[in-house]
Amino acid sequence: MLSLMKSALIGLTNTGTSTAVGFQGLVRNRLKILSAGMNTYDVPPDYSDVVLPERPKLKFMNKVPNFKKAKKEMKKLRDIQGPALTANTFTRGQYGIVALGGGYLHFGHMEMMRLTINRKMNPRTTFACWRINAPYKPVTRKGLGQRMGGGKGAIDHYVTPVKCGRIIVEVGGRLELAEVEPVLKEVAKKLPFPAKVVSRESLATMQQEQKDKEQNNQNPWTFQRIARGNMLGIRKVLSPFDLHNHGKYTGKFYDSRRV
Amino acid sequence: MWSLFFTILSPTYGWQPLMQSVRHGSKAVTRHRKPMHILKQKLMAITEYIPPKPSTPPGALIPRARPVQEENGLVLLLKKELQTIFQECKMIAVIQNNSINSEDMLHLKHRLRKHSITIKFIPNQVIRSFLADSPYINMGPLFIGPTVLFVSKEPKVKEMLLSLRTSPQMILLGACVEKTLLSRQGVLNYAKLPSVTMVQGELVSGLTMLTSRTASLIRRPPAHLSLLLQQYLKQQAGDASAETTPGDSPADA
Repeated sequence: MLSLMKSALIGLTNTGTSTAVGFQGLVRNRLKILSAGMNTYDVPPDYSDVVLPERPKLKFMNKVPNFKKAKKEMKKLRDIQGPALTANTFTRGQYGIVALGGGYLHFGHMEMMRLTINRKMNPRTTFACWRINAPYKPVTRKGLGQRMGGGKGAIDHYVTPVKCGRIIVEVGGRLELAEVEPVLKEVAKKLPFPAKVVSRESLATMQQEQKDKEQNNQNPWTFQRIARGNMLGIRKVLSPFDLHNHGKYTGKFYDSRRV
Repeated sequence: MWSLFFTILSPTYGWQPLMQSVRHGSKAVTRHRKPMHILKQKLMAITEYIPPKPSTPPGALIPRARPVQEENGLVLLLKKELQTIFQECKMIAVIQNNSINSEDMLHLKHRLRKHSITIKFIPNQVIRSFLADSPYINMGPLFIGPTVLFVSKEPKVKEMLLSLRTSPQMILLGACVEKTLLSRQGVLNYAKLPSVTMVQGELVSGLTMLTSRTASLIRRPPAHLSLLLQQYLKQQAGDASAETTPGDSPADA
């Protein structure tokens, strides 16, 4: 086989050698100009274990929850304060959008995300799923042109509170990050809080970096030490949340530089 | 930072309001950060993250090992030549070559050739590496810049200086004459010395003069005595002849 190929090569061209073009190609295309060199491609990732769900696209979310009797609630700003303790790791997908601050998502945001991602993604290779619930928290407003007073206003719309670190949307399937990153970035910058596109690996590295920073901090005076010890009566100006979060969170805001 | 914190907080230093109003009421506005209490601001400032100092990169502290260069054949050949020169030649002069043109060089070579002095062009690097292992290591500082060697088997310093006088581009730096290192002034002084045969002649003549003088000195008193005696005899004879006839005077020695 090799000698045959060699003779064919010599017969075709006296100048130049070929390693890339195979014997079949030579037979098919006799006048092809042979060029030296060989391309080595990376091994493509193995997607054999990826199972696409029956409905790969993002589901429609109800604008209004299906309550028998809607009840007005207080603001309860605690629900966007501090770090998210639920839905902060990946479940099914590989890529997603993670919130880097607290905020409220309403129906419009969800429609925007749903329509953009469903339009841009390929349902044969990709799937997407929500990691947030449909809007459930009522927000009341007084009607336009109404005088103040007369009690609490009527329910205007519903929102979903999101805490820092929560994953909003997950995308997975037989694809790489570069394929979905532009779409997810486009979505992420329209959200009402700072958000970032992450993959499983990058999220893990982010968390690891934070841990390393905590371990390698060269400052002997840490927030935790001073707050726990109530040095100089500092607890007078600290909230109970500061004891847990060590000044990393102020309300819905998150400061990633602190440890 | 902490000390600043302490001085501001402690009751003895500085003034502090007795009461500060902290709002605990409505926290409805979530658009912006709430203004932080000054003490908490200070606390946040002193508890900032300080990264560890970057460790020195692995190659920074270890001196870089230079690859040992093999000497090529030409260098070895030149070194061998230098070896023979330093063994056989009695005069090795180091001359600075201030861009002499080829014609002048040819003339100089010709003139030196008459006294069987040859000019050697050997790279300074080779010379220095040769001198480092030889007893002539102190000649090393002479080989800076464009230098040439004037080499002859006999120490013909005077002739060399004479021929150098006509080419001002070549400047004498120093020399090794009969295994003695000489500076420029030393070479000039050496040239003023008379030749060995002349010195030997002078020495011999001086020595012979001394011996002849001693001999003459030794011979003098007996000669004087004999003279006196002769004179005496003559006088005696004269006294006798005065009575008879005067005699001949004796010849002096």
